[in-house]
Amino acid sequence: MMKAIYYYFERDLVKWLRGRITVISSLVMPAAWLVFVGLALPTKFTDNYIQFITPGILVMTTLFSSLQGGSLMIFDKILGFLNKFLAMPSPRESMLYGKILFISVRGLLQATVILLIATILGVRILNPVNIVLIYLTLFLFSVLFSALSTMIGLYLSDHDSYAAVNSMISMPLFFTSSALMPYDVMPAWLRTLARLNPVSYAIDSTRTLFEGGIPVHGIIGLAIGAGVVLLLGTYQFRKAVV
Amino acid sequence: MIEIRKLSRSFGNLLAVDNLDLDVGNEIFGLLGPNGAGKSTTVMMLTTLLRPSSGTAKVCGYDIVKDSKKVRSKISYVPQDMAVDRKLTGRENVLLFAKLYGIPNRNSKVDEVIEMMGLSDRAGDLVAKYSGGMRRRLELAQALVHEPEVLFLDEPTLGLDVSGRRKIWEHIKMLKAEGMTIFMTTHYLEEAEKYCNRVAIIDKGKVAAVGSPENLVSSIGENASLNDVFLEKVKTPEEQAGFNSTQFRNLLRRR
Repeated sequence: MMKAIYYYFERDLVKWLRGRITVISSLVMPAAWLVFVGLALPTKFTDNYIQFITPGILVMTTLFSSLQGGSLMIFDKILGFLNKFLAMPSPRESMLYGKILFISVRGLLQATVILLIATILGVRILNPVNIVLIYLTLFLFSVLFSALSTMIGLYLSDHDSYAAVNSMISMPLFFTSSALMPYDVMPAWLRTLARLNPVSYAIDSTRTLFEGGIPVHGIIGLAIGAGVVLLLGTYQFRKAVV
Repeated sequence: MIEIRKLSRSFGNLLAVDNLDLDVGNEIFGLLGPNGAGKSTTVMMLTTLLRPSSGTAKVCGYDIVKDSKKVRSKISYVPQDMAVDRKLTGRENVLLFAKLYGIPNRNSKVDEVIEMMGLSDRAGDLVAKYSGGMRRRLELAQALVHEPEVLFLDEPTLGLDVSGRRKIWEHIKMLKAEGMTIFMTTHYLEEAEKYCNRVAIIDKGKVAAVGSPENLVSSIGENASLNDVFLEKVKTPEEQAGFNSTQFRNLLRRR
């Protein structure tokens, strides 16, 4: 099972790395956010806005990248790969988990680029343990949303509707989160939404990690969320394929 | 090798496969029929990709529902979509399958099947540069890497040029000579007549005729072909609607 997951993961990774434009574009977009919004926006929310917004951009990047990931499943399904893989004796779910692993690792690679740029721009994380925990937080968050997007992809099985659903949920999720401003400057209605938003959960945890604290509850919460969605995804995958 | 008993599958109100009974031995067996006759549905049930609504089937002695994993370890399935990764090389495509099947000494096995399909000199090229015939042969190489006992092919020669088709058929014949059972669907009746040991014509999910191409053809009369058998046994909506040439000519004139 673990081996099969790795082989499916490897397939997607090699294919992605060979499409040079997709790699470059997926790295440029978050960098642009960081530079143009983080440095240029004349905000008075916090003393050091780039320090404040970096966790938000990190989570945003993983969010968008995870939500896009479901299209991989759609393509494998409509192009006939899925049927070929499912007719093999290796455990069927390994295909699903390989996909989720790839989407999550891709998100972490993008996050690494942002961390590097943020470091150049003067953002500092003091404790190396916290860097590891930032990666863990982003990974759990990414598993949660890539499992979700794979479910949506498998359910819709049509690229246009998928793109529509994707853009419908990604932007609202981002703008109603705590990515861009602290809770105390938000209007009350937005504050309520932001408190409920799972994306804020990941952002607040990452922000705590940047400031040197350890958000035990945040990480546990994300782990539970990722586990639940993964279970649901497995259930739906099994139902969809037999 | 394959025993199909009262196999049925419906999608909503549509009965795609209706109480199908068939036995396939160690042979090249062709499943023929008009579009929508239930060919692909049958193949998908036999390859454990679709659960039958009722009835059973055994492949290599294993039940397709209860022992589906054992069935999958004995078969290979090549769907009609030509699903090979364009951004991987031919060799990488086959290697992926060898890894997933858990083949020991996979490198030499991969080289062997690539050689068998005549792709050795292009194995290092990206599949994006392959012709349709080469992609199809690459899919056969993927399917052969774990030495299946039964090979399921859905329209293996669809969309290929004459030489590409002949090459595929030569490979299929060679595999049969090596002892493999081949179960395939096709629309090219001339090819089925020439290469299949036995064929079944199905229509609306039911068997309309089954037997060797020679027997089916001779039952219709002299100088007949499998095409004649097909038209005799199968009444497609297109045919029943007929073609009104005067009406069509009038429509053309009106433009």
